[in-house]
Amino acid sequence: MPELALSGLIKTYGAARALNGAALALRGGEVHALMGENGAGKSTLIRILAGIERADAGRVTLDGRPIPLASPADAEAAGLRFLHQELQVVPGLSVAENMHLARPYPTRFGLVDWGALRRAARAALARLGVDHLDPDRTMAALGPGDQMLVRIAATLLTGGGRAPWLYVLDEPTAALTGAEAERLFAAIGALVAGGAGVLYVSHRLDEVLRLCQRVTVLRDGATVCSRAIAETDRARIIHDMTGREIGDLYPPRHGATSGAALLRVRGLAGGVVRGIDFDVQAGEILGLAGLSGSGRNAALKALMGALPRRAGQVSLGGVALGTTPAQCWRQGLAYVPRERRSEGLMLWRALAETVTLPHLADLSRAGFLRHRREGQRVAALGHAVGLKARGSWQPCAELSGGNQQKVLFARALAGQPRLLLLDEPTRGVDVGARFDIHALIRAFAAAGGAVIVASSDLPELIGLCDRIAVLHAGRLGAVLPAAGLTEAGLLARCHDPLSEDA
Amino acid sequence: MARLLRSYGTLIGMLGIVLFFWISLPDTFMTARNWLNISQQISMLTVVAATMTVVMVMNDFDLSVGSIASLAGVVAAVLFSHQVPMGWALAAALAVGLGAGLLNGVLVSVVGILPFVATLATLTMFSGFAFVVSGGKTIFGRDIPQAFGDFARGGLPIGRLGDRPAVLPWLTLLALAVVALVWLVLEQTSYGRRLYAIGGNPEAARLAGVRVTLLRLSAFAFTGVGAAVAGLMYASRVASANPTQGSGLMLTAIAAVFLGMTLSENGQPRVLASLTGVVVLGVMDNGLTQLQVDSYIREVLVGLIILAAVSISALGRRAAAGR
Repeated sequence: MPELALSGLIKTYGAARALNGAALALRGGEVHALMGENGAGKSTLIRILAGIERADAGRVTLDGRPIPLASPADAEAAGLRFLHQELQVVPGLSVAENMHLARPYPTRFGLVDWGALRRAARAALARLGVDHLDPDRTMAALGPGDQMLVRIAATLLTGGGRAPWLYVLDEPTAALTGAEAERLFAAIGALVAGGAGVLYVSHRLDEVLRLCQRVTVLRDGATVCSRAIAETDRARIIHDMTGREIGDLYPPRHGATSGAALLRVRGLAGGVVRGIDFDVQAGEILGLAGLSGSGRNAALKALMGALPRRAGQVSLGGVALGTTPAQCWRQGLAYVPRERRSEGLMLWRALAETVTLPHLADLSRAGFLRHRREGQRVAALGHAVGLKARGSWQPCAELSGGNQQKVLFARALAGQPRLLLLDEPTRGVDVGARFDIHALIRAFAAAGGAVIVASSDLPELIGLCDRIAVLHAGRLGAVLPAAGLTEAGLLARCHDPLSEDA
Repeated sequence: MARLLRSYGTLIGMLGIVLFFWISLPDTFMTARNWLNISQQISMLTVVAATMTVVMVMNDFDLSVGSIASLAGVVAAVLFSHQVPMGWALAAALAVGLGAGLLNGVLVSVVGILPFVATLATLTMFSGFAFVVSGGKTIFGRDIPQAFGDFARGGLPIGRLGDRPAVLPWLTLLALAVVALVWLVLEQTSYGRRLYAIGGNPEAARLAGVRVTLLRLSAFAFTGVGAAVAGLMYASRVASANPTQGSGLMLTAIAAVFLGMTLSENGQPRVLASLTGVVVLGVMDNGLTQLQVDSYIREVLVGLIILAAVSISALGRRAAAGR
């Protein structure tokens, strides 16, 4: 089995030291998790591995011999392959053509041999155990999970340099649904069974515990420890990452709801949602669980007016809710969308502008902005949500994922809303920021607000919510009290709404 | 160094251009009279570029402004020739600009056509209308009221320069007023903030309660009225109107906004930056004309300057991103 070892890596940017002696040892045949809070140095380490950045000092050896990693070509020659969150695909070309982007097409008599192209693509997909993808489909028709499988399969095509043996997957499941993630895990299993190694970078502890054999934890640019998964557990990894004990993963529950329904939903239909009824009380956190495509996302969007409501009555505090996002914000709803980059942030504008956008009417007089009042409001909100930024003028693009999410929370809380709609509120957020965000949600509910949280992270729903509504193919299966639910039980409910296992 | 070039490249280039003309034309370039002259020459372009900035803030743009300007000028002139009172004729011309802008807005925001395609089509349409309305002829002479032509020749007296009285031209003042208005709207109102938000991320803006369709439509209407104002200014300046006289405005205005974007942080369109872009182009034109550079060569040079500014800005940005 090949073995790649990095040690004593040091990298400084200006005055900031991103890596301070980090070490990592990877070998074929195992899935190795790389964990750490945002800013711990994971990204820098990966960029050095990929040959995009050069370390100031440090040693890289492949099977005991030093190798250079001065350029992406060096990394490729060493057999490393990188799959980033934003995949490089050509949406208009077919699956088979996308797999051949970086290599010559098979030819016959000087013309493209389309049959051979398809066969090669199908064979490579089959080696990952993927048989549901037709090589002739256009890439644009595939979900992000399938696109990732195609990209992995492309590396298995024969020819060119050293065969790839180490795959670096950076937050691969961040954009995937449950079913897509399962397929990816199966493909990773096939790769590892074939002798390849995987460096798996993720914030999701459950995935790491399930999928990986080893875990290396970075903190402040240095390697804290590298342990076999069998010798560690959730609490230990969190301790390694944060350097502090987190006795309870979730902030304490207060459990006092008002009893009267604040939000009443009757027969709501929109997108894939086909008629659901439920109530949310003031002070309550309601979870929305369900498999991908069950309508979690559509239900929130339909409530917010972002997706047209085909049918149903929705009222907030006894008043019918408006049908556009503008009306809903004004009536006291606040929304944190699932895709923070594409649906939430003005990435290259000052973060203050993202925060105050839905509340400009309050912050202006006769249409003219009251800049000072806006600045004070943003500063106070940033403080309240624990936002770490250099100033309210800083563009969102420069913030870490956790802080970007806090910008959206600041925005949601800015208008003193009565109901928060949160879609995957902690996706791609590190453990520390995740705890902060959960505490904010709890505090909002404790102060008498109502919250609806849609999440694919079942432990999060169980830990955070008072009740959990399970959606199944656009309909409401059951509404369960969260206390006492197990992850397995909730998952069973998601698959089969009639399950009594819960 | 690269950072300096990126932030101030256009300004440094502008100073270089001014110095070059000052040295080459020691007697005539750096005089108050010449600068008043330049300010009047660029006033129409200033109005178009300022109002073009309003749509470019949303990452849209409007190719039809030149045609709207021609059409507005021709409409006013034809009404003049039918003895319609001047106020009514001007109002009608502005209404034509508003209507044209609204049409662009509906096509782009309600129907959902790409701005390039929609305004390219309306460019052709409005230009055709201008020919139809004018019968393809230039309207001039006695058909144009004296007062209309006098407006462009007059100005605010600001004392004497040498032996002749000097005036700050009304056209210049009008252009400055439009710039001030656009600056207020874009930088000081919630309306402007929402336009920038649409440019930053239209879907996020919609989900945050911005009425994207309505705002895009209104911004195009704004640009249409601006183009009509510029068309009337042009007609006043030459005391005549013909169906092609605005056609040069569109490309130059877009070029000026792009030049301005090289000045601003994160490459956003800002109205004062657009004004700077207009001044750069106006000074170039004025200086090269005085140097008696052939007008075809002048076009080549102006194109090169725009490319140089935008290239330096793009390279600087890439260097900053590659850190």
